[in-house]
Amino acid sequence: MKKKFGLKNTLIFATMSLLAVVMLYPFIFMIATSFKSKEQYFGAPGHSLSSWHNLFKALPVGRQLINSTLVCAGAIFIILFVATMAGFALAKLRSKASPYFFLGIVGAMLIPLQSIIIPAYINASKLNLLTGYWGAIFVYAALGTPFATFLMTSYFRGIPDDLVEAAVVDGLSYGAVFRKVAMPLAVPAVITVIVLQFIQIWDDLLVGLLFIQDPNYRTITVGLGALSAGRVTDIPVLMAGSLISAIPAVVVYLIFQRQLVNGLTAGIGK
Amino acid sequence: MKKVSPLHKSRRRTGLIFASPALILVAAFLGIPIIQAGYFSFTEWNGITAIWHGISTYTHELHNPIFWRVLQNNGYLLLGVPIAILFPMGIAFLLNEKVVGWKVFRTIYFLPTAISWVVIGMVAMRFFAQEGLLNGLLRGAGLGFIKTDLLSSEQGALFTVGITFIWSMVGTNTIIFLTGMATLDQSLNEAARMDGANNLRIFRSITLPQLTRFIQFSFIITIISAFTALFSLIFVMTGGGPGFGTTTLEFFIYQSAFSRGDFGTGAMLGVLLFFIMAILGVGQLLIMRNRDE
Repeated sequence: MKKKFGLKNTLIFATMSLLAVVMLYPFIFMIATSFKSKEQYFGAPGHSLSSWHNLFKALPVGRQLINSTLVCAGAIFIILFVATMAGFALAKLRSKASPYFFLGIVGAMLIPLQSIIIPAYINASKLNLLTGYWGAIFVYAALGTPFATFLMTSYFRGIPDDLVEAAVVDGLSYGAVFRKVAMPLAVPAVITVIVLQFIQIWDDLLVGLLFIQDPNYRTITVGLGALSAGRVTDIPVLMAGSLISAIPAVVVYLIFQRQLVNGLTAGIGK
Repeated sequence: MKKVSPLHKSRRRTGLIFASPALILVAAFLGIPIIQAGYFSFTEWNGITAIWHGISTYTHELHNPIFWRVLQNNGYLLLGVPIAILFPMGIAFLLNEKVVGWKVFRTIYFLPTAISWVVIGMVAMRFFAQEGLLNGLLRGAGLGFIKTDLLSSEQGALFTVGITFIWSMVGTNTIIFLTGMATLDQSLNEAARMDGANNLRIFRSITLPQLTRFIQFSFIITIISAFTALFSLIFVMTGGGPGFGTTTLEFFIYQSAFSRGDFGTGAMLGVLLFFIMAILGVGQLLIMRNRDE
């Protein structure tokens, strides 16, 4: 079939292209600005790498990228551990208590971070969780668990009860059914949880700002936020830092776009 | 009476054991703190010692003009919600025409959802700055006399936060509507066209009703974002200022506790935010239940 490319489609294409520039503007600006020196940003002609050199003096980029990775990995590991088990239990190992468990865990989605952050901060400081990564890891894990549990529960509901019961009759324990039958089937949902949480935690400022007190443990996003709030006026340096901080999440997004969209629209239901 | 089989018993036991870690984690870091927030909201609390004041902490806050100013700021941001929904809906319709390259455009429009509000805020700040692109564009369009310095005035700064917020919601809401449009039943359109309905009529009577739950979903997501997702943006762009010009409820919570050391007031404001979100959540649930029946 031949597609016509009439006036209407040309107009649509033009509009969408213009919109694409608007949506890509931050990237264009970050890239263009990071290759200028401070003087060039304020009008001097030419390009230079000086801002990239200065970035590594202003911000321990390597260290902070590792910190971000560790915090993400720790929190995501905990989320997957508790949410896959809870999801399987709530979908396939139902008892009278299940609805209350479900309500307790998934209902916590309604609690905004800002509402609990003050008591949580005080508790964490009393438990000495603010010195390393753990405070942030636990808070991120707790914040991600409700939605992940919701996602895993709806996913495991798609596995027929008969399949589980047949495996149990064959002599597997419920734990073994979970590991050997259910988990291999749940890989797509697990990937969705990982991608969603990675982007959320990588990009977060507030939790990292409060729950990581030692600057050496700061994530890249928190490092940038702190630089910016310190009103560093070297904008090209800030933009180089922003670009570096954005790249990992953008790469993950480009690879796992489908899973991200699935996760986002999972809340609409059928 | 049916006897409980050993198998049934083992299933129930495993179920409880499996669900417990998630419940404990959520209880420890979300459940208990929200109850603590409720308690401390009635106290004067500096993080170490708390003095019970009862309901007077609330009534006292109601007489604080800054508190009302903050709620007003939230109200102004909510004015952006319809735009943050309708604009992406229009974009989704354009994408749905499936013109050459639409998949690339879809990827591009959704891309900003992957970057941090911190980064968005830093770029937005330079865009709206006096020597930024906005003024450059105005000059280019021969409107140089409008030269704005939005970030230096209270209303202007709130406006820039609002515009940046709307821009940031484009990706998410466009994807929601695009998902919705993929579920549309094309045969209905054709049947209506046979019966002589025009495009507008088809849109109003056939397309919109089928999109209702997607509109609701994006509405809820956008409102929740307006109330709870803008902390980093405000932190980076304006620090809540100038004055209290861009201090929203969520930012006010942070300021009360972590800039002024007034943890009691912070906890109280947090409880208030929780109730606003809970009412929205329950409302959403009721709407969904009505629809399903």
